[in-house]
Amino acid sequence: MRYTTSVTKGLTSSKAEEVLERDGPNELLPPKGTPEYVKFARQLAGGLQCLMWVAAVICFIAFGIEFSRGTLGCFDDLYLAITLITVVVVTGCFGYYQEFKSTNIIASFKNLVPQQALVIRDGQKNQINAMDLVVGDLVEIKGGDRVPADIRIIFAQGCKVDNSSLTGESEPQSKTPECTHENPLETKNIAFFSTTCLEGVATGTVINTGDRTIIGRIASLASGVGNEKTPIAIEIEHFVDIIAGLAIFFGFTFFVVAMFIGYAFLEAMIFFMAIVVAYVPEGLLATVTVCLSLTAKRLARKNCVVKNLEAVETLGSTSVICSDKTGTLTQNRMTVAHLWFDNVIHAADTTEDQSGQSFDQSSETWRSLARVAGLCNRAIFKPNQESLIVVGDASETALLKFTELAIGNMMEYRERFKKVVEVPFNSTNKFQLSVHELEDPMDLRYLLVMKGAPERILERCSTILIKGQEMPLDEQWRESFQTAYMDLGSLGERVLGFCHIYLNENEFPRGYKFDSDEMNFTTSGLCFAGLISMIDPPRATVPDAVMKCRTAGIRVVMVTGDHPITARAIAANVGIITEGSETVEDIATRKRIPVEQVNRRDARACVISGGQLKDMSSEELDEALRSHPEMVFARTSPQQKLIIVESCQRLGSIVAVTGDGVNDSPALKKADIGIAMGIAGSDAAKNAADMILLDDNFASIVTGVEQGRLIFDNLKKSIAYTLTKNIPELTPYLIYITVSVPLPLGCITILMIELATDIFPSVSLAYEKAESDIMHLKPRNPRKDRLVNESLAAYSYFQIGAIQSFAGFTDYFTAMAQEGWYPLLCVGLRSHWEDVHLQDLQDSYGQEWWVSVIEICQIADVLIRKTRRLSIFQQGFFRSVDVDSMEQMSLTPYIQSYTPCYVSFMKGWGQWWFVPIPYGILIFVYDEIRKLGVRRHPGSWWDQELYY
Amino acid sequence: SESIQAKCSRIKILLFYLIFYGCLAGIFIGTIQALLLTLSNYKPTYQDRVAPPESHLIQDYICLLHRYVEFGGELPESYRDRGQLESDVGVRKACRFKRTWLGPCAGLDGHDESFGFKDGKPCLIAKLNRIVNFRPRPPTNNASVPDAGQTRVQLNVIPIHCQNKREEDASKIGEIKYYGIGMGFPLQYYPYYGKLLHPQYLQPLVAIQFTNLTFNEELRLECKVYGANIDYSEKDRYQGRFDVKFTIASS
Repeated sequence: MRYTTSVTKGLTSSKAEEVLERDGPNELLPPKGTPEYVKFARQLAGGLQCLMWVAAVICFIAFGIEFSRGTLGCFDDLYLAITLITVVVVTGCFGYYQEFKSTNIIASFKNLVPQQALVIRDGQKNQINAMDLVVGDLVEIKGGDRVPADIRIIFAQGCKVDNSSLTGESEPQSKTPECTHENPLETKNIAFFSTTCLEGVATGTVINTGDRTIIGRIASLASGVGNEKTPIAIEIEHFVDIIAGLAIFFGFTFFVVAMFIGYAFLEAMIFFMAIVVAYVPEGLLATVTVCLSLTAKRLARKNCVVKNLEAVETLGSTSVICSDKTGTLTQNRMTVAHLWFDNVIHAADTTEDQSGQSFDQSSETWRSLARVAGLCNRAIFKPNQESLIVVGDASETALLKFTELAIGNMMEYRERFKKVVEVPFNSTNKFQLSVHELEDPMDLRYLLVMKGAPERILERCSTILIKGQEMPLDEQWRESFQTAYMDLGSLGERVLGFCHIYLNENEFPRGYKFDSDEMNFTTSGLCFAGLISMIDPPRATVPDAVMKCRTAGIRVVMVTGDHPITARAIAANVGIITEGSETVEDIATRKRIPVEQVNRRDARACVISGGQLKDMSSEELDEALRSHPEMVFARTSPQQKLIIVESCQRLGSIVAVTGDGVNDSPALKKADIGIAMGIAGSDAAKNAADMILLDDNFASIVTGVEQGRLIFDNLKKSIAYTLTKNIPELTPYLIYITVSVPLPLGCITILMIELATDIFPSVSLAYEKAESDIMHLKPRNPRKDRLVNESLAAYSYFQIGAIQSFAGFTDYFTAMAQEGWYPLLCVGLRSHWEDVHLQDLQDSYGQEWWVSVIEICQIADVLIRKTRRLSIFQQGFFRSVDVDSMEQMSLTPYIQSYTPCYVSFMKGWGQWWFVPIPYGILIFVYDEIRKLGVRRHPGSWWDQELYY
Repeated sequence: SESIQAKCSRIKILLFYLIFYGCLAGIFIGTIQALLLTLSNYKPTYQDRVAPPESHLIQDYICLLHRYVEFGGELPESYRDRGQLESDVGVRKACRFKRTWLGPCAGLDGHDESFGFKDGKPCLIAKLNRIVNFRPRPPTNNASVPDAGQTRVQLNVIPIHCQNKREEDASKIGEIKYYGIGMGFPLQYYPYYGKLLHPQYLQPLVAIQFTNLTFNEELRLECKVYGANIDYSEKDRYQGRFDVKFTIASS
C-alpha cells in the first residue's frame, strides 16, 4: 500500500505519530502575518506622521541653533519637538491597539469549534481532532460533516459533497470510489478539505493534509494578490503634500521678507523653521485616528468588524458593491414560495419567521398535497434538539418546515402513516416515492406518495385532484399545468410535482413485500395533487438596503454561482433589477426581433452567465458594465469574480466585494474593500477581507457605507476646523516678524491650543450626526472630491482663518491697550520688548515695564460649528443642543481664548474672553450666508468656489 | 469661451476677496477705534500686569536729573495729592529731585564720576518703576524688615535694604551706605499721574554704596524694598527686589 495503511484497520498509532511529526498538523497555516513590530512601525510612518517627524527634526535643529546663541525661551523648541514625537507615538500606539483588538475578534472566530474527524487507527474507530490527521489515515465521513482533509474515497454510499467553497459549483457533487478523470478537481473519487458532505456516508484515505491540500494551495495563491492603497491613505498623502507645500512656500516667503527687513540670517532661518512647524497640524493625526476608531466601534455594534481602520472610510466612497446572492442577499435556506393546486397558484409566506400562511387551506386538494409533501420526505428534525434543526436536503427541509407549520407536528404525523418502503431520489428516474399504511387502522389500503420533477410526475398521472375530486387528466388540464409550471419556473423557483395513489387492497394486501429495487408496485396512472415551488427567499431587509444603495448612487451587482433564472428572479425581487427594466433578450422577445438587432443601450438590465463571461474580452466586459446599469452575473466561478472586480476598477469605481469561499479571497484582496461573511465565510476569506459582516447581512453593508460617508464628511469638517486654526496661529507670528509687535502667541501656547483644547471640538465633530442628505448624494469621485481641495483650503485659510486672525488681533490689541500699550506704540516695539537689559520700558501712559518676563499672549480663536451645506437651523439646531454642540457653540471659544494664558496668569484674564464675540457672530453669519448661497444656487460660481 | 469663463471666474474671486478683506479691515479698524474710545487718557484700564518692580540702574539716568519744577524738600513727607486723575486740573506739578542728594554717588564734578567703581566702592542707583496712580505704603509690620535695616524704617519712607544672598557671604559684604531722602523712597513723590498729566515727573532715587566689599570674590547681594503693598514673586525675580553680583578685582 502506498501510504502503508490498511483499508480496514487504518494506520497504526505509532506510524500516525511519526507522520504527524514529519508533516505537521493538518491545518491551513495562516498567511505569513506581518511581524508585530512592522505593524507598529507602519503606524508611525503614515503621511501625517512623516510630516510630524520632519517638524520634530526641524525643532531640534532650531533648538540647537538658539541654544548655542543663548536665546531666551529656546527650550520651547525642545518641548515642541518632544511633544510632536509624543503625539506620533501615542497615536501610533492607539491605532496599533485598535487593529490588534479587531484582529483578536477575528481570531476568536477561528477556534470556536475544533473540527472533529472519525478516524480508524489500529482497527479502532476514534474521534480525534482533525488537526491530528495524517496522510494515510482512514476516515469516515457522513452527511453534515466537513471533509477533514483531501480524501480518496474507497467506499461511498449516496455520498454528496458541496464543493461551492472551492469551485463555486452550487450543485452537490456525488462522490464514488471510481476514478473518472485525471484532473483531481474533476474526478469523483476525491473529496476536498473544507468542503461539506451533504448526505450519505463515505470512507477514504487521507492523501493530503494542511497546506498541501487543494484548498491550502489556493489560499496561499491569494496572498500573492497585492493590496490596494486605501482611498483615505491617498487623501491624507494628498493633504500632507498641500500642507508641506504651503508651509515651505510661506516659510520661504517670510524668510525672504525677514532678510529684506534686515534680520540676521540665522534669525531669519529660525523664523523659517518656526513657520514651517506652525503649519503642522499637530492635533489632526489624533483626530483622524480617533474619528476612525470611533466609527469602527460604532460599526462593530452594527455587526461589521473592521480589520483595518482606514477601511471604514473606503466603504463610504464605494460606488459598486459586488454582492453574493446566497446568504448575503437571501436567507440561505430553501423556503416554499408558491403552490399550485386546484388550478390556482397560491403564494406562501417566505419571510424569516413564516408566521402567516396567507392562502386558502380549506380545499381537500391542499390536504392531500400536504400529506404527500409531508410523507414523501426524508428530512427529519434532529432528535433532542430544538425543533428548528433539520437534517436533510435543502428542498426536503423546506417542505418539512412548511408542512410542520401547516399541519403541525410532522414527526408524529409520520408515525401515524407508517412507512413501508421508500425509493430515494436518483438522477435517472428523477422522483422519490414511499408507500405508507393509512392512519385509519380499518382502512387496509396502502398509500403511495411520490414527488419529483413535475414533467416526470405528470407522465405517470392519469387523473388530477381538483377540489378534492379526481378528474381525468385531459389536454386542458395538461395545458394549465404547463402554464403554471412555466410561471413558477420563470420566477426562478425550484418546482416539484406531487402525486399519490391508494393501492388496490386486493392486489397489495397487508404484508405485501414491496421491493424498492424491483418496484413491484403501481407507479403509473397516479393522481396528480399539485406543484410546490421553493426558493431561497431574499432577506427582509435587503430590498430596502438595495433601494438605499440606489438613492446613494451605489451600483449593486449580483455575482452568484446560481442559475441565471434564479439569479434574475432574486435580483428582481430585491430590486437589483428594477421594475420595468428589460434585458436585451426581453426586448427581443417583446419586439419579436432577433437579439442582434436590439440596441444594447436600450436594455438597462443584463444577466451574464459564467459561460458567456468566459468568451468575453475585458473590453467587452467593461462595455457591458458601462452600458447596463443593472447587472447580474450568474453561474460564475470565484475566479471570474476577480475579473469582474478588475473591470469595475478599470471603470474608476471603488469596489466593495462580498465573499465567503476560499476562492473568493483573491477577489476580496483585489477589491478596494473586501467584505467577508462572518457566519458562512472561510478563514481564508476572512483573512483576505478588510471587513467582516458578523450577520452575513447585506443591509449591514449599507449601514457601513453610511458610516463611511459620515466619517469622510466629518473628517472634512475636522480638517477644515484644524486648518482654520492654523491661520490665527500663524498670523501673530507673521506680524511679529513684519511689524515687530511683541510676540502675541508663544509656541507652547500654540501647542496647548492644538493638543489640549482643540482636540475635543475636533473629535466631537466626529460625533456629528449625518447631514440628512448624506445617502442621497452620489458617492464621491475619488479623483475629484478630495478630502482637502482648493475650496476647503481657501475657505479655511483665507476666509474663516482671516476672520479669526482679525478677531485675534483685535483681542490682542485690546489686551495690550487696556494694559497701557496703544496699538501704534506696539508697532516696532519688539526689539525693546525683548531687550533683557531694558528694565523700564515706558508704555503709552509713561508707566515703566520690565517686560521680558511677561508674556502677553492673549489671542482668541473664535470657533463656529461647521456644517458643510446645511444650515445649522436645518440640521436641527435646537434638537442637538446636547453636551456636544454646547461645547462647540459656546464653551470652546472661551476655553480657547482663555487657555493661551495658562502659563503665568491663571487668574484675571477673563475680561478678554468676550472681545472676539462680535467676530464669532460675524463668522456665523458669513457661514450661513455662504451655505445659503450654496443651497440656493447649486452649480453656480458661488457653489464651485465656496463649497468644500 | 472657456478661457473667458475662467477669466471671469478669476475676476469674481478677486472681487470677492477684495470686498471680503475690505469689509474685514473695515470691521477691524472700526473695532480698534471703538476700543480706543473706551480707553481712559489718564490711566490704563488694567494694571494687574504692571506690578511694582524695582529696577536698578547705574549710569544712564544722570542727564535727566537737572530738570525739576518744585522743591520737594529734603525731608520725607506724606503723599502729595494733586487731585483726582480724571479731574480737570490739567498738568500737575512734580517734585524735583536734586542729584546732590545722592551724595558721593551723584557722579557730579568734584565727586567720583565713576560712581565709586574705580575705588572698589560701587554705587547702585535704584528706583521704583512708575505706575500710574500707585501709592506705595510703608511697611506696617516692622518685623518684615531685617534687623540691620530697622534703623532706617521711618514715617513716609519706603525703605530699601540690601543684604547678602548667600549665608557664607555675610562677613564679606561690609558696610552699605544709603543716600537719598530718608535713605529710601519718600512718599511725597507719589502718586504718579501719567505721562499726559505729569510730563515733568521725576521719581525719587536711592543710591546704595557698598563701601567695604571683599575683593577678588564673587559676592551675591539682594536688595528689597519693603512696603505694605509691595509683593514679591517667585517667578519674577525683579518684582519688589533685585539681585546683583559683584566681583571686585584688586588691581
